[in-house]
Amino acid sequence: MAGIVAATLAATTQAYTVNLTPAAPKTIYLQIGVGAFTGGNYLSNGQPARNAFVNTVSANIAAAVVGNGTAQTMTTDSTAANSFYDSFPFCSLPNQLYIGGFYRTTGAVTGAAQVIASVPLSLTDATGDTIPFTQIKWSAGGNGPTGTTATQPFPSGAFTGVATQNVGAIASNQWAESCWTFSYLNTAVPAGGTYTGVVTYTLTSP
Amino acid sequence: MIRSVDSSGGRGFFLALALSIICQAASARSTTLDDSGSQALEPSVRMHWDEAVPHQNGGANLLTGATTIRVRINVTPWLGRTGRIFLALPAQQPGPIRMSWSTQGAFLPGQLLSGGRVLVYAGPITKPVMEEVFQFKFSVDGALMQRAFPVSYTFELEEP
Repeated sequence: MAGIVAATLAATTQAYTVNLTPAAPKTIYLQIGVGAFTGGNYLSNGQPARNAFVNTVSANIAAAVVGNGTAQTMTTDSTAANSFYDSFPFCSLPNQLYIGGFYRTTGAVTGAAQVIASVPLSLTDATGDTIPFTQIKWSAGGNGPTGTTATQPFPSGAFTGVATQNVGAIASNQWAESCWTFSYLNTAVPAGGTYTGVVTYTLTSP
Repeated sequence: MIRSVDSSGGRGFFLALALSIICQAASARSTTLDDSGSQALEPSVRMHWDEAVPHQNGGANLLTGATTIRVRINVTPWLGRTGRIFLALPAQQPGPIRMSWSTQGAFLPGQLLSGGRVLVYAGPITKPVMEEVFQFKFSVDGALMQRAFPVSYTFELEEP
């Protein structure tokens, strides 16, 4: 009789099982210039949001110095000076353009998400004159203890004349940010005019 | 002489009593209870980032999720007796799991890490089936969780 009772208990006892399911955990966010965080910065529980505004970086070159080989600092119309991470005044306006973002993913450490610039061959004016994008470079920096190191996640560089160019990376589950100061190399003598071109930056996760 | 005998006998009694207590604690029998009548109010626990954005140094990678389960434990064999009921979360995949819960009062709220167990009830068993609504919260390191995982827990009863 005792054996029967024991067998019955063993047959009916069990562990209760619930399924833990990752719910759309992969997230990427990239902000160049102005961006959008609702509810404040990240540390105050703000959440990233979409912002379609396109910022401009520009320089006015005086006729007297056109083509003299002295690089001309460009300025931005971006109003993003503070880090969206903690509101630290990271970039100095109007010379520095903020670039920052994060890459969220589950599982073990993965390869970094890459920031790719899609670059036209040239800037053009209304009459079809051109200035090659290779006339533009940028230096990376930023205020604060990590802003002046040589290990910026988005390092200094220059447009190299290729259609797609890697300009930095964000390691998995990290926030990364830098400030870029653009310069016009001023080694060409183009026709007078207003030259424009659009560079599109794309963050791609593995 | 008498004092000597009394003294020796006293120490012997104390030692025997202590051993007896230890033996009782070690021999407390733990029985896994039948909670197959429990019912989850959600089909699965959706795990979200505890913090939506990672830190600059890469910290804050916790996934958390919550679920409500109407727990029904069959304690018919112990009806009319007293017992202690523990909630046990065995060590299991995907790795360290933190589980916390609140209740509606029949059982104790608490928390534990996988590999451990916590007392949730102590007292008389007055009904054949004990019921309680548990609101569970699970936390797992996001680095350990690339896919869904089943997580099991048990209720265990010990008689005094």
